[in-house]
Formats: sequence, structure tokens, C-alpha cells
Amino acid sequence: MNLGPPIPARSLWRRAPWGLILVALLLTAVGILNLASASRTADASLWTSQLVWVGGAYVVVLLLLAVDYERLYQLAWPFWILVVALLVAVELRGEVAMGAQRWLVLGPIRLQPSELAKLAVILVLARLYEDDGEKPEGYGLVELWRPALVVGIPAGLTLVQPDLGTAALIGAVAGTMVLVARVRTGTLAILGAGGIVAGVLSWFFVLREYQKKRVLAFLDPEADILGSGYHANQSMIAVGSGRWAGKGWGQGTQTQLSFLPEQHTDFVFSVFAEEWGFRGGALLLAAYAALCFMGLKIAAQARDRHGAFLAVGAVALIFWHTLVNIGMVTGLLPVVGVTLPFMSYGRSSGLTTVLAIGILANVGARRRTS
Amino acid sequence: MRLPGSGNVDHGLRRRILVYGVAVGLGLFVLLGRIWYLQIQRGEEFSAKSSGNFIKEIRVPADRGMILDRRGVRLVDNRPSWDVYVTPAFCGDCEEVLGRLAAYLALDAEERTRLDEQVRKARGLQRFQPILVRLDLDRDQLDVIEANRDSLPGVDVVSTPHRDYLYGTLAAHMIGYLGEANAEELERFRKAGLSVMLGDYVGKTGVERRFEAQLRGRDGIQRVVTDARGQRIPGLEGLIPRSERFVPSVPGHNVVLSIDARLQEAVEEIFDVPAGAVVVMEVNTGYVLAIASRPTFDPNRMTGRISREELRAISEDPLRPMLFRPVQSHYHPGSIYKVIASLAAFEHGFSGEVHCGGGYTLGRRRWRCHKESGHGWVSPEEALQVSCDTWYYAAADRIGIDALADMARRFGLGAPTGLDLGWEVPGIVPSVDYYEKNVRGGYMRGYALNTVIGQGDNNVTPLQMAVVYAAIANGGTIYRPQVVRRIERPEGYVVQEFLPEVRGRIDVPKASLDRVRKGLEMAVETPGGTAYAHRILGRRTAGKTGTAQVVRIGSVRQKVEEMEFFTRDHAWFAAYGPAEEPEVAVVVLNEHGGSGSRAAAPYAMRILERYYQILEEDRAGPPSPEKIALPPRRAPRPAPVEEGAASG
Repeated sequence: MNLGPPIPARSLWRRAPWGLILVALLLTAVGILNLASASRTADASLWTSQLVWVGGAYVVVLLLLAVDYERLYQLAWPFWILVVALLVAVELRGEVAMGAQRWLVLGPIRLQPSELAKLAVILVLARLYEDDGEKPEGYGLVELWRPALVVGIPAGLTLVQPDLGTAALIGAVAGTMVLVARVRTGTLAILGAGGIVAGVLSWFFVLREYQKKRVLAFLDPEADILGSGYHANQSMIAVGSGRWAGKGWGQGTQTQLSFLPEQHTDFVFSVFAEEWGFRGGALLLAAYAALCFMGLKIAAQARDRHGAFLAVGAVALIFWHTLVNIGMVTGLLPVVGVTLPFMSYGRSSGLTTVLAIGILANVGARRRTS
Repeated sequence: MRLPGSGNVDHGLRRRILVYGVAVGLGLFVLLGRIWYLQIQRGEEFSAKSSGNFIKEIRVPADRGMILDRRGVRLVDNRPSWDVYVTPAFCGDCEEVLGRLAAYLALDAEERTRLDEQVRKARGLQRFQPILVRLDLDRDQLDVIEANRDSLPGVDVVSTPHRDYLYGTLAAHMIGYLGEANAEELERFRKAGLSVMLGDYVGKTGVERRFEAQLRGRDGIQRVVTDARGQRIPGLEGLIPRSERFVPSVPGHNVVLSIDARLQEAVEEIFDVPAGAVVVMEVNTGYVLAIASRPTFDPNRMTGRISREELRAISEDPLRPMLFRPVQSHYHPGSIYKVIASLAAFEHGFSGEVHCGGGYTLGRRRWRCHKESGHGWVSPEEALQVSCDTWYYAAADRIGIDALADMARRFGLGAPTGLDLGWEVPGIVPSVDYYEKNVRGGYMRGYALNTVIGQGDNNVTPLQMAVVYAAIANGGTIYRPQVVRRIERPEGYVVQEFLPEVRGRIDVPKASLDRVRKGLEMAVETPGGTAYAHRILGRRTAGKTGTAQVVRIGSVRQKVEEMEFFTRDHAWFAAYGPAEEPEVAVVVLNEHGGSGSRAAAPYAMRILERYYQILEEDRAGPPSPEKIALPPRRAPRPAPVEEGAASG
């Protein structure tokens, strides 16, 4: 019921989850190293700008350790409303890139509001479940109307950009939090059935032609190797040809000879797998696993439900990104534009990742000591 | 007001977080399994696919084999053709670059417009496709372009091997020319296992066509590293195993002809007529020493260097320059047919004297002898010497057309000689059966009289007549005429040898043959003979003139000069020499040239003279290697080594 006396800064520093931060920094370093290889063929050396941006973000977030995450409780709704407003603004006058409206240009800043939407949803849901307290019998279908609105509005706005990947990500992260908050078994069954119906309906009414092509290309990758299946196919070649030991940093032919599409953003894992092989890939997956487990441990030991749900949301964000991205570049999932945390180039996604780590660190530093 | 930390993290929530942790573990484990599957299970397969991505195979075209004469003189070789291309994507201000190019290469306005158009129309990836500006730069143009490289961005000069017919029109029809392979040829050559690609040049006619498989070599492969756009990336050769980087090409085999370049050159020079054919053949082997067709063409131009207009002019030329007259066209033989008629007559017991009063009457028609006043009493030998038609009318009337046809077929008439250079016509051997089948009203006795003097439907090719006269000279053996002696590898190893090939024997008594040979010798060497005026002093020759009527002109004879070209008679001369011990047969057909003795015999005799001269040269000393490899005509000739008395 009570926070007790505020923790002095020195002990806060000591109690910060250094294991998690170390793994995150390690992953970030590997990501920068990998970018340096992936962007050798690009005009500018993207990795330096990424280093400066993400490095700065880490410093800010670690400094913010001193501020109690409890502030996020008050910030949740204003932030959510701001994000929704930005999403509407993008829809009205956003910049078109690759056939979708995703960017909002505000003076020197190019913003991707859909990235912030993930955070907004995490903040608001964490607040909701803090308020509700534990429901031993779980939520029923009707009671889910609030989270449905909180998630549905930004996810829907993202979907019409169109950005299927991010919309699905928002849904997955929110879904994780809803499930962790407990849902009745019957409701779960109804939701599952509803999801299938919605999927079928969206195929006919929501999905754009290129999105359908990607799904079809995923179901039968050999059908159109030069067209829709090209990316997935070249990516699988890159990953597979890395074999056990990899071709060596800067030596990946798929990467360096430009056969890999989007090699510094969505397909950055293929670069890594090609150059570092199975050895490197397995270690990288282990690092992601360690990060997620440490994050969930922080959630379980959180001071309050608010912190627990913030941590679950942050882990869900990193986990789903990782799962969908690597699943996509290895041909397990259809090609949707989802970045890989710590590895992909991009300011918005890089910032989101660091913020997630910051939330985890903050919650972890204030965990119960018992 | 919210109380911070009001909601505790209870046991149920912690349990569900743990469950989620298990789900996270499972999810990441699936990914681990997936990369294991791709990198370890299927790693080899994807490695191969990855190599296939960046390794581009560049074809290294094989050198086409040379064509040499019987002594090894190069007649056909390869040379680099320097071709200029412009690539729209790389030329920047293309208009300006083209302007400069136009000045350097003296492009005309029409070419300029075409290029501007092509450059302007190129869109997207097309802009990376080089556009041909000019084929075959000469040295000066090449120098200018090289010197101005810097001001010509996007301009490339590419060297491709090109066929070089060193002596131009020399034996053009027999040697043939090259052209881009069409769909049918691609299919045929690929079935035969040759590496032929779209756009490749292949033999279209003559030896080039017949020996395509031998002349063409096997292409090599150079493997280079390219990026996804197909751009070659130098310096990354290490990605390809050393042994796979380069597979050398295997050059084609050389074809050694039976042709003697010196004799062929003499024939080309001597036989200066609008249309006609010459064949010089060894009587005891069937090897052709020289073979020419008029009018002719330049295979250097035909091989991808000819404009549409020139091509149209050739195809519309009534004299049909592409026609290889020695085998691809047939003609009335006229009186040179009479050797066959004589042998047929002897075989059927007709070998006595006949009185010629200027013609022969059958039924209500009179067949005229070319000498209106008549030859008087004529023996079979004299019949050949003076070419008395009356003797043959009488003989034909007696033995009938089928006796003639039988002898003609034994000499190989009515069927291709087997030269095997394509599109050879068989000629026509008229017989009773032939007329019953092909002519309304069927056979009539008069047809035999037309046939016996080489008229009517009687048709032969010049090469067939060379085979006939060679057979008479060699005692009755029919050889398959051949133009190729052997196929060699570039270093000289003989891959295939073409030995003389006997196709049959005419099978007549030696006495009969001797009488014919006597008559032929008299025609040249005895006063009154039709070719007596053109005999070679010091050498005895046997031969027969022929004058084949092309159109029936009525009863009044016209002078040649007064007739339209295409209504004039064909002039023939068929001969062999030396008469006592024959070596070569010569057949000359001067299309629409007029009389055989005036318009054909002189050419044949000069060719024979040159033949003897060459024989003397060779006998004087076995040819040294330097002498064999005569420099091609284009290069300046060295001064003659010895000034001889040979010119006398």
C-alpha cells in the first residue's frame, strides 16, 4: 500500500539492474558493429549517426533513473492523446515513404508516431491495471472494452497508414499485457474465434494488394522469386550461407554486393547471420533471451502492479519485435516492416528500444527487496 | 487521488508473468531452431545459391578456325572489329557527346537522328543498355576516339572477333559467309551440341556453313563477381575458387581446301564476264583446284557489314550474284554434251560415217546443222572435232533418247554430284519416261534430236560437266568432286582427311573412250577444230566447245551483239589436259556469252596455261614455308624474289 521512504540516489544507483543494462549495452554495441558492415555500401556511414543518437538516449534514460516511474502514471493519458493526435496528423499531412504515410516532419525532426504509439499503449494499460487491482476471476468480454479502445484507436490509425507490421506489434504487446492481467477462459475462446474471423475479413476488406502479395509469397516463397518473394528468398540465402562460422565481418557477399534488401533496417539480422554464422546468431538469441528473462524477473519483483505491467509491456515490446523480425528474415513469417531492437538502423525504433530499457531499469531499481 | 503502489503484485500475477517467460523462451527457441535449419541443415545449399548470386559467367568466344588453301595459304582468318557503343545512363549530356562522336566518325545526318532518337527513348533500366554507334572503326577513327576518351563519357569501344576474308571476293561462293544465327539454326546447332547463342554468327553458305561444327570451337567461360545490379566488382576475384575463374576457349579447327589460291586468283582475274561459272578439277582425284561463279559478292560485306539498300540491290539484281552457278543452276549443255552422245552411239553400234548436207530431216521437220553448207562425210571423231550436228541427229534418231539418258546417268547427270555445299540442283536427263510424265502430248521422236545436241529439256550443271570430262580423261571413273582436303587442329594435327571418293564407273570399252578422246583432241589441236584458234603451243589439250541456245529465235540467225543480253546463247567449253596424260579438267560457262569457241574456249585455255605455269613453279623447287605463306593481298607484297623467264 505504501511506497515507504524514497530511496536515496546512491542506493538507487547500486540497486539498478546492471545485468540487464549490460546485456542491453552489449546488444547495442553488436548492433552498431553490424550496422558498420551493413552500411558499407551505403553513401553515408549510418552507424556513426546511430551511435550518437542511441548513445545519447542511453545517457538521458540512465539519468532519468532518479525520477520515479510513478510519474508515468500521470503522463499516460496525456501522452496517449498526443500520440493519437500525431497519428491523425500523419494521416492528414504525413510524408510518404515506400508507399505508406509514416513520417511526420516537425522542423528538423522526422517522427514516426506509430513507434511512440507502442509506448503510449504500454503506459495507459499499465495505469489501467494498476487501478483495477488483481481480478481473481479474470476479465470478461465486455470488461475488455477499455483496453480495446486504448489499443484499437492507435493500432487502427497505424493500420491505415498502411503499416501492418507496427499495427500487429501494438496489438501483440497490448495482448500480452491483457493476458498477463488475466482473461476468463471462455472469453479467451471467443477472442480466438473472433481473431480468425477478423483475419479472414481483413484479407478481403482491409489488406492492400502488396500486403496480400507478401503473405502469399510467404506461403509459397518459390512462386515468385524475382517479385514478392525476392526479399524473403535473398534473406534466407544470406542467413543460410552463413553456415556455422559465418563469412566474417564485412565479408558477407549477400550484404556487400547488395543482394539483401533493406539490409540496415528490417533485414539487419540477415547481415549478422551471414557474417557471423550460427555461432553468432545463437549467441545473439541467447542475449535476447537473457534480456527478456531479466526483464520479466524485474516485473515479478516490481514494487507495484504499475511497475509490473510497465516491465511486462517493455519486455513484450522487445520480444515481439525480435520474434517477428527474425521470423520474417528467416522465412518463418511473412515480410512485414518490423525492426529488430538494438540492431536495426532508425531513430524512432532505436529510441523506443532505449526507452523500454529505461523503463525496465527504473522499475528494477525500485523493486521490492524482500 | 491515487495512492502510489496501491496494487500489489500478488501471487497470481507473478505466476502469469512466469508463464509468459516460458512463452518467450519457447518463441526464441523456435528462432534458434530455424537458424539451425537454415545455416546447418541447408547451409550448403544456400552457400551455393549465394555463390550463384554474385558469380556472373562471361563468355569467352572461341576463335573460329581458319580456311586455308591446299598449300596452307590463309584465305579466311579472324580480326578484331572495333565497335563503338554509347550508354545513355553514363554519357551525361548525351546530345553533346553524340555531337562530338558524330564529328569524329563523320556520321551522316540520318545516323545522327537515329542515335538521338534511341538515346532519348531509353527509359529506366534500358538506359544501361549500350547502343551501337558504329561497327568496325578504322585505325584513324579509333585513334581519335582513344585520344578524346575524357570528353566522351559513356562511350565504349569494344573489340569483337570478326571474320576476315583476306582475298575478298576470291572463291566467295564456295567459301561462303557468316550471318547471325536464326531460330532454326540455333535449334539445329544446339541439338548437335554446339555452343551457339542468339546473336552469334554462323556459316550461312559454302564451306563456312558445311563445316560450321568443325570451324566453330568451344567457348570458354570467365567468372567474375557482380553485385545485385549486375555491375562487375573488381578486386573480389578471391570469392571464386582459382580453378573456376577461367575456363579457356578451344579454338575451332582449320579447314584445308583442295583449292590452289594461285590458280583460283588467276581464274578470278581471267574470267571477267558478267555471268558464268568456272570449274577446274583434278581428273584423278575429284579435288577441285578452282571454282568460280560470276557475278560475285564480297563475303566481308555480307558478314554483318551490309546495308539494307545494298542487300536489296543484290536480291533484285537479275543476274543473281548470290547464286553459286557451278552447282546451283542448270543450263542446256549444248555441244559439250556430244561426248556422252558419241559413247551412247558407239555402244549401240552406231559408229560409222554420216553425210552432212547441213541438216537432218525427220518427218516433216528439218533439224539444221550449225554449218548450213554441211560438213560432207563425217567420221565420229570429226563429228566431235567440228561439232557436226547432223552426225548426232542421225545417231539419236537411230539409238533413241533412252540410250542417251542411260549414258548420261552413268556419267552422273540428273543427280547432284555430291559436292555437299548446299542447294545443289540435279539437272534434267530427258527420257521417254520424262516426256510422258512432264510434257503434254508425251514423247515424240524429235525430242531425241534436241537432246543429242544438248538442247530441249537437257540440263546440266557446270560441275557435273567437269565430272563428265574428268571421267573421259581418267578412263571412266566418276569421282565425287571435293573442295576440302582435310580438317586440322590449329597446330596442324589432322583431325579428318578427305580422300578421293569414287562414285562409279561409266563402264565403256577403252576403244570407244579412245575415239572420243581422239575427237576432243582434234577439236583443239587439228586445223578445222572448233577451238583450234585457242590451242596452247607446246601442250596438247582435248576439249569441246558448246553453244547453248537460250531462246528459239526463228530461222534468221542474228549476230550476238545485236541480241538482247538475256536472249543470247550460253558459251561453253569443257576440256582436259594434257591430252596424252590428263591431269585437270576445266569447264567454262559464259552465260549469254555467245559462241563457245569465241566466248568460252579462250578463258579455259588461259586458265590451263596458268595451271601449267604453276606446275612449273612447283617443279622448279619444292615450296619453302615462306613461299607457302603468301602474304594476304591487303598487305604490301614483297618484291619478287627472282625475275624469271616464266613470263614468256
